[in-house]
Amino acid sequence: MAGTASLRSELPRRACALAEFLAAAGGAKAVSVTGLKPLQGGALQENWALDARFSGGALDGDQRLVLRTDAATGIAASLTRLQEFAVLQAAFAAGVTVPEPLFASEDPAVWGKPFFIMRRVDGIAAPDRITGNAELDPVFPAVAERLGRELARIHTIRPPRPDLAFLAPYAEVGPTRQIAGFRAYLDRHPTPRPVLEWGIRWLERHLLPSAEPVLCHHDFRTGNYLLEGATLTAILDWEFAGWGDPHEDIGWFCCKGWRFSRLDREAGGIAERDTFYRAYESESGRSIDPQRVRFWEVLASVRWAIIALQQSERHMTGGERNLDLALTGRRATECELEILMLLDPGRNFADV
Amino acid sequence: MYDLPRGAALLALARDVLLDELMPLLPEDRRSDALRVASCMAIAGRETETGSEPTQAVLRELAMLYEEESCRLLHRFAHDLRIGAFEESELSEQAARALMWRLTIAKLRHSNPSFLAANGLR
Repeated sequence: MAGTASLRSELPRRACALAEFLAAAGGAKAVSVTGLKPLQGGALQENWALDARFSGGALDGDQRLVLRTDAATGIAASLTRLQEFAVLQAAFAAGVTVPEPLFASEDPAVWGKPFFIMRRVDGIAAPDRITGNAELDPVFPAVAERLGRELARIHTIRPPRPDLAFLAPYAEVGPTRQIAGFRAYLDRHPTPRPVLEWGIRWLERHLLPSAEPVLCHHDFRTGNYLLEGATLTAILDWEFAGWGDPHEDIGWFCCKGWRFSRLDREAGGIAERDTFYRAYESESGRSIDPQRVRFWEVLASVRWAIIALQQSERHMTGGERNLDLALTGRRATECELEILMLLDPGRNFADV
Repeated sequence: MYDLPRGAALLALARDVLLDELMPLLPEDRRSDALRVASCMAIAGRETETGSEPTQAVLRELAMLYEEESCRLLHRFAHDLRIGAFEESELSEQAARALMWRLTIAKLRHSNPSFLAANGLR
């Protein structure tokens, strides 16, 4: 990961190769890299703050950029960086608030692995600094409304899309396939997870009629957008995007795992669910079906639990010694509690 | 036989020093890392104090449910939940649910008691 001695010694060469790449991609006479340092956060990808001075071309002048590339280990379900770049381009063209995607490359001579370049946008993403910041309380309803509208804009992107032809058809990534994937993972996992098995069984028995697929972000939640004061400046982290049921993103955004320090605020830990729902419905012209959201919210808790276990495995057996990944594994049991609360409400806890 | 203070007490003291004295000295963007370190220390401290007894108690209940002793009972329980083996009888379904609740709460008492409290549980 970034920061190791070998990478530090490698940086001057990479900066040089990067400058040449940027000049060619940006149609500039020359580019000098004036700053390059790893950004915090991003469990699955490496992000680098990149400052560059362009001489000539469309980006003439000083530019604040981000280079996004693969982390040392990842999760199989995520897109490649070039695919994520294409999704980001589609979202940008649809009017979603994202960092403008600029260039992409898989030439190993530049960075050693595939990467893309986008503009750097100011703001904070850290969930606890958002949900736990009482000074933001007055603006949260407006932020939730804006997020509802942004999500509706994402969902205007629909198949068929030749530029997104790499995305698996919905029939291959819908709930039936997800359930099979969850079970296959649990079969390989060393520790049995009874609550997850029970939750998956419920999902299997309550499958929904198929939806008209839209582009789902698949990780649309607090922690994956940037706030600059009261202003939403970017929707981030498109690595899991794919075709899906629009209610899937709504269930994910509202599930308890993403409310952080404010479990009482059901829309992403920042607002009432109704505020977010109304804005989404107004922008999309579609009604939200609470029963569909409930299904996807149960699935969200199962999915987040499986991701948490996978993150922990990356630390334990994947060769990526990392405190964040190690602790994330412990969150699987929080998801299991939520599954129990959703599917077995009203339990008399004196019996527990 | 170890010298005093015991490991759990040392861990608690070290955590206090980290949070109260060292964290204010850290740059803003590294404080979340310090909080994660503190979380790890708290989990380790609670597990050192109670060992695996709370979850073992749930496993003993599982042995009563199946009327047999085996180190594979949790695997069997998970498998039975997958195939809906408890769904034919309201009584066994309720017993299975109660066991899942107890197991989950026992684990969260170690890993995240504040999450339990935020959900109205102890």
